[in-house]
Amino acid sequence: MIGRSLIWIDWKRMRGALLRESAVRFFLFLLLGAIFEAMLLSGGINRYMSDRWRVTAVLRLSVTAVEGEGMARKAAGLPEVHSAEYRSPETSWKEFVDAYPVMEALRAAGGNPLPGYVEIRMRPDRFTEGDFRSVETVLKPLPEVEKILSGGETLSRLLRVSRWMNIMFWAGYCILCAVSFSVFFLQEKARATLLSGDFEYLRERGVPARAIPLSRAAAAAFAGGLLSLAAMGATVSIFIALSGRLPAFSRVIGSYAEILSFPFLIPWALFIPASTILSGGASLLGWRAAQSRPR
Amino acid sequence: MIEAFHVGAVSRGRKLWDGIDLAFDEGEVCVLTGPAGTGKTLLLSILRGERRPDEGDVVVGGNSLYRGDSPAVDSFRSSSGIVPDAFPSISGCSVRDLFLLSRTAGESIPAGERDERQEKLLSMMGIGGSQDWKLSSLSVTERARVALAAELFRGPKYLFLDMLIANAGGEWTDMLGGLFRALAREGKTILLAERTFPERWKARSGEEGIAMGPFRLFRLAVSVDGTR
Repeated sequence: MIGRSLIWIDWKRMRGALLRESAVRFFLFLLLGAIFEAMLLSGGINRYMSDRWRVTAVLRLSVTAVEGEGMARKAAGLPEVHSAEYRSPETSWKEFVDAYPVMEALRAAGGNPLPGYVEIRMRPDRFTEGDFRSVETVLKPLPEVEKILSGGETLSRLLRVSRWMNIMFWAGYCILCAVSFSVFFLQEKARATLLSGDFEYLRERGVPARAIPLSRAAAAAFAGGLLSLAAMGATVSIFIALSGRLPAFSRVIGSYAEILSFPFLIPWALFIPASTILSGGASLLGWRAAQSRPR
Repeated sequence: MIEAFHVGAVSRGRKLWDGIDLAFDEGEVCVLTGPAGTGKTLLLSILRGERRPDEGDVVVGGNSLYRGDSPAVDSFRSSSGIVPDAFPSISGCSVRDLFLLSRTAGESIPAGERDERQEKLLSMMGIGGSQDWKLSSLSVTERARVALAAELFRGPKYLFLDMLIANAGGEWTDMLGGLFRALAREGKTILLAERTFPERWKARSGEEGIAMGPFRLFRLAVSVDGTR
């Protein structure tokens, strides 16, 4: 009976304060969960970059439309590639003329001077220099390919910037986690201090001294797990709603299908045990800090 | 049985007393008296395993409270009730909160019986219907009686009552005497610390009590005919 009663001692003694604290914790879990999910889906700025940056495999003039389509399929089959699309010489010419209308006279001399090409988009999670090089290595020796345009030195600089930005994003996320943990810790310390008279009352009446912090930590961990589960559920609902309504959201963060895919459910499931452990840990540390205060 | 062997205490660098031997049997009501500042509260906390004596030892049911294992001490404490001289500084605001805390420390009491039992105890203490009263609104005498009711709620085997009679007020002396005798007949051990032995109570050990260092120990006649 003692153990079970003790687990809910804070709830019984300070219901109002605990509800207010839980609202703050839910908001923090929602924020942490949403950023975590967004970072995992987008890979920082990688998804945006992979949407904007394309590798172009310029085909030889002799390559037919069927061969060009085959090339696009081959490129799309590479593990680093998100999608590959064949553009015929005619499409290529239209794009050229749209960009440079004054050059239309070039065609008057004879046939279409431009070759067809395959436009390749990298997967957001494979947006690295090594992956670009790997795609180039596979496509370059093919007889249909004239040359590969991937950005050269500009790409290297861009990838460097993107890597640093991702590091900064994750560092920011870690700081937010630390701030949240500090908030949990301060909440727990304040509550343990306010309830110190109650705990002393219980200890004097034979409740084992170790049972009180351990029971409270178990309750905090359980509540933390439930709150983070609710927060992650809310995050996924918000993401699904946004990805259906805002095309830009899918381009920058991810699509509806990806949110519920298996690879993204594993870290999602790790977030809840991590929140549980953090909540329990904050309770124990808060208790310790409250106990070490001079009376 | 609670036994204290050659117990001594030092406070603020000054020896308060030493070599005190005490024994409290089951079903006994004992009153320990002494002037202010002699260390009655300190002796009570030593006897209930709260404060290690500077000399000697306290043994309960064959287990030392200070040299034995922690579960034995916790078990003794869980079967003890304490009414301190100063009201416990708990965070709750109502009498009901105090009972809730007492219930948490004690054995399971069926939900249906709780309110009825609380109300019965409070009525017995002359403060029926006070469950929702704020603790801060209670007078000193009401606080003493509420604190005792909250301890009795758990049905402890041992009761340590510090200045309860003085705090509860003269008009409650007879009623509390009767209550303690009834509890002693059920096999409970009650130990009180007071400045003086209550006038109308009848001591087995005579009107002067037994001298123990700066204290006097009175054993209350428990049976109706004056014998134990």
